Amino acid sequence: MYNKLSNLGFVIGIFFIIVSLILLIGGLLSESLSYPLNFYTGFAFLVFGVVMAVFSARKKES
Amino acid sequence: MVAVRDNYQLHMSLHFADYLIIAVYFLFVIGVGFIIKKKIRSSNDFLTSSRNIPLWITSLAFISANLGAQEVLGMVASGAKYGIMTVHFYWVGAIFAMVFLGVFMMPFYYGSRARSVPEYLSLRFDEKTRGLNAISFAVMTVFSSGISLYALAKLLEVILKWDFDISIWIAAGIVMIYTFLGGLTSAVYNEVLQFFLIVLGLSPLVIVSLHDSGGWSNMKNLLSPEMTHAWKYMGHTDTNPMGLHFMSLIFGLGFVMSFGYWCTDFLVVQRAMMAKNMKAAQETPIIAAIPKMLMPLIVVLPGLIAVTLMQPALASKGYSIPTDANGGTDFTMTLPSLIAHYYPTGLLGVGITALIASFMSGMAGNVTAFNSVFTFDIYQAYFVKKKSDNHYLFVGKSITVVGILLSIATAYVAKSFNNINDFLQLVFSFVNGPLFATFLLGMFWKRTTGHGAFWGLLAGTIAAALTHGLTVAEGKGGWIYNVYEVSSGMGQAFIVAGISWIVNFFTTIIVSLATKPKDPEELRGLVYSLTEKPEGQQKWNRQVIGLGLLLIVITIILNIIFF
Repeated sequence: MYNKLSNLGFVIGIFFIIVSLILLIGGLLSESLSYPLNFYTGFAFLVFGVVMAVFSARKKES
Repeated sequence: MVAVRDNYQLHMSLHFADYLIIAVYFLFVIGVGFIIKKKIRSSNDFLTSSRNIPLWITSLAFISANLGAQEVLGMVASGAKYGIMTVHFYWVGAIFAMVFLGVFMMPFYYGSRARSVPEYLSLRFDEKTRGLNAISFAVMTVFSSGISLYALAKLLEVILKWDFDISIWIAAGIVMIYTFLGGLTSAVYNEVLQFFLIVLGLSPLVIVSLHDSGGWSNMKNLLSPEMTHAWKYMGHTDTNPMGLHFMSLIFGLGFVMSFGYWCTDFLVVQRAMMAKNMKAAQETPIIAAIPKMLMPLIVVLPGLIAVTLMQPALASKGYSIPTDANGGTDFTMTLPSLIAHYYPTGLLGVGITALIASFMSGMAGNVTAFNSVFTFDIYQAYFVKKKSDNHYLFVGKSITVVGILLSIATAYVAKSFNNINDFLQLVFSFVNGPLFATFLLGMFWKRTTGHGAFWGLLAGTIAAALTHGLTVAEGKGGWIYNVYEVSSGMGQAFIVAGISWIVNFFTTIIVSLATKPKDPEELRGLVYSLTEKPEGQQKWNRQVIGLGLLLIVITIILNIIFF
């Protein structure tokens, strides 16, 4: 786990996944966050975060 | 320097989700510090990252070190005030110098095994040239860091009504934790995280506001032509909003200031010096030039969009740039006001975090450059020479704390004496303006001597101060006598830099010719004509040159498209 956490790409990916979840789940649960711009941005952040984390983790393993 | 003033028209209210995003960001940057801490075993690990950082990280850190708040807020403000001419800071004032650094200068910085730019000066010239550069650089970085901290706290006070003191201590405290724990590596890792946060956090703003303004074609229809043409109106100083002639721009910005900053400022060069090998060190500024070339989309375009939205035809959009206490347009608030106008709760937290990240990135960059130069080029060079590595690691860590405390003190001085910001920026320009001439002659003319470099630097700095004292622009300068009136402050800065460069260049040559040069054997690996390239290096050197040339061609095409 330490190896993954010391992989910057993985850390950046996880950061954007968490921020995207705040925007997406928050938008579903709370009216104050329920804006199309939050959903679009949250989705884009999620895709970026997952790609960054998976790509970095795989690269490190190989 | 971005001047954040009180502004009562702009106020944002954050909600739980916004605070949560800010808190997640703070946790991550501190977490990075704790993760990197385990890798720190020597002073080189802490202060130079032991030349062990991958290319993609050094490249993004290279431009992130320059992506501080001055850049983000300042360039958006400049885009709103001067229009598309602001792209000159990128397509004239950055790309060419970055390519030059990668192709011609990195082989000497990296190949000499110097740990810093001042250390290169000591190897190439002598200790007094190193000392002059190291001390002026250390003072400049710590003041820059303090001014960045002041601007952050002031901005948060103005737009969020956060307490000035609390903002200062929290921001400085977080930067201190992660730079103290992980040193340069930690600062650089966070710079890369901050880069993505700034670019991805501000991209939605560009997309929605561009859509609202009707796109580039509508912006061209609504704005005056000099706002949407980069070069067309630069034939005379009276016909463009910057008040600049194109020759002044090309020499002052495109050559003296641009090369002086990108090729000699240790803050950015340090990022390339961390690369794993010579090839990566050369590629770092060149790869970094790719996102740098596209950066106007994030930091110049929003300014142009903001003035477009204020045109009568788009009055229904309900946007305007706030005014200051005197009723004038407060361009510094352009970006915060766009964020407040377009971003809902949630994304607002992302936007504010991106702004905070840009300030912290600038501050951490300055502090890590300061601790390296202080430890290696001042403390170890002049005070305590032969101690154990643990001793220098301890000094490096201690001076990180001292650097942060000095930054905090500077922030409070700036709060009490607002004019000190302008004064410090002025002094920085006096010191930086002539510097590139020293490096150019040192790397490419083996006859350059230590005495020539030292007296050239001093003469250039004095010439910069005198030129400023004898010229007036926008009510500034002329503190000796008003000999010449310049139509804009920017034009004056270019003239000051240009004259200081020329004075340094010729003084260095004259003094060098009158003094004894170093033995050529001592200059191997430090001067172009005395450095042989190994067989393998020539092959990838051609690749580096090819990529650099490609970027220059693309930059020229961009200038033509937006001519």
